[in-house]
Order: sequence, then structure tokens, then C-alpha cells
Amino acid sequence: MNISQKSISRKEYITVDYLVENSKDLFKLKLFSDNSGFDRKIIDQNLHRPGLALAGFVDLFSYSRVQIFGNTEMRYLSQLSEEKKAESIERIFKFSIPCIILTDGNQPFPKLIELANKYHITVFGTPFSTTKLIYLVGDFLDDQFAERISLHGSFVDVYGVGILFIGKSGVGKSEVALDLIERGHRLVADDHIILTKKGEGILMGSGTNLAKHFMEIRGLGIIDVERMFGVRAIRYQKRLEIVVELELWDEKSEYTRTGLEENTVNISGIDILHVKLPILPGKNITVISEVIGLNYLLKHYGYDAPKLFQDRLKKEISKNEKEQDLRGVKYFEHDFE
Amino acid sequence: MIEEKVTIINKAGMHTRPAATIVKLASKFKCEFFIYKDGMNINGKSIIGVMTLAAEMGSEVTLTFEGEDEKEAAAEIVDYFRRGFDEL
Repeated sequence: MNISQKSISRKEYITVDYLVENSKDLFKLKLFSDNSGFDRKIIDQNLHRPGLALAGFVDLFSYSRVQIFGNTEMRYLSQLSEEKKAESIERIFKFSIPCIILTDGNQPFPKLIELANKYHITVFGTPFSTTKLIYLVGDFLDDQFAERISLHGSFVDVYGVGILFIGKSGVGKSEVALDLIERGHRLVADDHIILTKKGEGILMGSGTNLAKHFMEIRGLGIIDVERMFGVRAIRYQKRLEIVVELELWDEKSEYTRTGLEENTVNISGIDILHVKLPILPGKNITVISEVIGLNYLLKHYGYDAPKLFQDRLKKEISKNEKEQDLRGVKYFEHDFE
Repeated sequence: MIEEKVTIINKAGMHTRPAATIVKLASKFKCEFFIYKDGMNINGKSIIGVMTLAAEMGSEVTLTFEGEDEKEAAAEIVDYFRRGFDEL
């Protein structure tokens, strides 16, 4: 499995307008200024509290970040004379600031709005506390600026485990997904999957806005899974946990036999469990996929079947008994069932 | 690997009919075929993928071909794009 550099993208900026459209309710933003600064770009996912800059120290001022005015900033400004107030605000407004958010329900004083409109800088207010807002906006911007990887495959939630099926065109990824849906599992997306890096070590997968839960079955055409199987058959997002690669049986290729060592695939710096499944006549990929999911859960809860088997074997060997019964029972105690 | 930049020149853009034709053409060949647009690199052999791009008139897409018959595939598919999906 190789991912070309082209499939990895990252947003370079979002506009203030985009932030408002997508997060107004999330952050309970209220617009105080006019919207003349809506086309300004946010290029940094970090936030900044400009306390020092307001006080006069503008070396190393992180002006490209969203500026948060908390109680400290507002209290500092309010105790200044009108003249000093204007001077202090203008000092930072000369930098190209994307926007300002006043937290804790702080109300702007008239001079702030007047200058904001003059310099085309948007001012919002929110009832959230500074800590809460920094957490919320930080998480939103982290997600917006996260690396996105677009992949071809089918992504299904099997017993709560996110399994991504990959493989060549026509190998039967969609058919396996459809089979799993029939058995009560949930489709995240088929065909075009977008993985988003979330924090360290987590990849979240979803479909595209346009394709949603539509699916192509060769020889049949496009079907709508949500309509056909109902809302129980779908979900919008899922953490990626296992990559299952389907391929036609290849004699030269080596397949895992004991399962003692786990293979992983590196997607954008994150190691994901990787299972290579050869397709053979009479092999039910759907059932095997369910077993892969269940096995993952067992391991997750501390039960590792291959390891346990290995331990039993070691114990048996070290016993060094001369007389052994190969059967799993001592003797058939009058039981002829 | 062959990489080719093409512009969508027909009025209706890459809608269902041309998308289906592209997929049909691509499926004839063994090589891998990808279409890239705006951060999305999709498999050109899947109809939903191609339609997901929603490429409108004037938009630029990059086609990549990789595999044993990449030359033949590129010749035929790039030509189909340049003909404006026979809708000019």
C-alpha cells in the first residue's frame, strides 16, 4: 500500500467568513463589528492572548493568530484613558490580525468597534470562558488545518472497529462492504475515503460531501445505502483501526499464519494494523472480516489467541512427560453422544 | 508513469455521461489511472470517484497513468478529455 504525496493535502488558510459559517453555533459567536474583515485569512491553528502587545511590547507578537481578549485584556483596556485606549488598540491593529474574540460575555467599548471597522478587523463575542473557548477554537482549527489523506477503498464499522478495505479496482471491496451491511454492520463511506489526522496517532475517516453513502456495484450501478438499508446501516465518521488489503491469491506472496507478529502500514506517520487477505474460491471474506474485527476487540481487551496458544505449547514442551495422550480428553467416560 | 494536465472544456463539465465513459475507457486497460483535482486524487476506474470531483467547465485536472499499458491508456483518455467529451 503506497500513498502518493498528491493524495495528502492540508488547508493553507481559512477565511474569517468560513469560520463564522462553520462554527457560529459551536462557539456561540456574536458579531460586534461590521463584516468588512470577513475576507481576512487565518493561517495559524494556534491562538494568542495579546496582553503584552496591548501593553506595548510588540516584539514577537503572534499577530497572524486569532486574538483572544479575555477578562485580563478587557480590564487592562478599561482602566486606560480614552486616548491611551485608542493608542493601545491601534498599536496591535496595525498588524494584520485575522480577527478578535472577546470571551466571558465581555462587551466591547465604542472605541474598539470604531477602530475595528476602520482597520477592517472583525470582532466577535462569546459567552464561553477563555479557557473553554481556547479549547474549542483550538480543536476546530486543529481539525481544519489537519493533514487529509484521500484514499480509494471501502470503509466499514464492523462491531465498532473501523476497517478500511483496499485493493485493486474490481477486486470486490464494495461487494464485501455490502455484504457486511447486510449482516448489520455500518458503512462509513465507499469508494473515496478522506482520512483526517486527529491529534497524535488517530486517523478519522469519512466520505465526501457529494457521494455520502452512495455505492457502485458493478453490473448494477449506483445504489443509495442509506435509503435501501436505513439509518442503522450508516455512520458519518469512524476512527481507522485496521486496513484490510484484498488481493488475488499470489503464490509468491507471504501471508500471516500464526498472527504472532502484527504488520502495520504507515499512513502519514501513523501506524495502522495491516492485514493482507488473499481471495480464494470458497473463502468468505465477509465472515473473515467479522473475525478480524472480533479478534481486534479481544486483543484490545487483553486476550491474544496466538500468544496464548504459544504459551500452552511452551508449557507442554517443558513438561517433558514420557506418557502423553494426544487427545484433548482423558477418556470417553460412558459418553457415546 | 505518465502525467498529463487537462482542462475541462465542455459546457456541462464532467457530468454523469462523460464520467461513465471515462471509467469505461479506463477499465479496458490494466494500468492504474488517477484523476487529481483540488487535493483529491481519485481512482479513475470508479464512477462515484470520478463524479465526486464535480469538475466544472474551465477547471484543471491532472491525469496519472501507471502500469504496463500506460501509453495506450493515456493516449485514448487524454484525447477524450481534449475532445470535450464529444460535447463541443
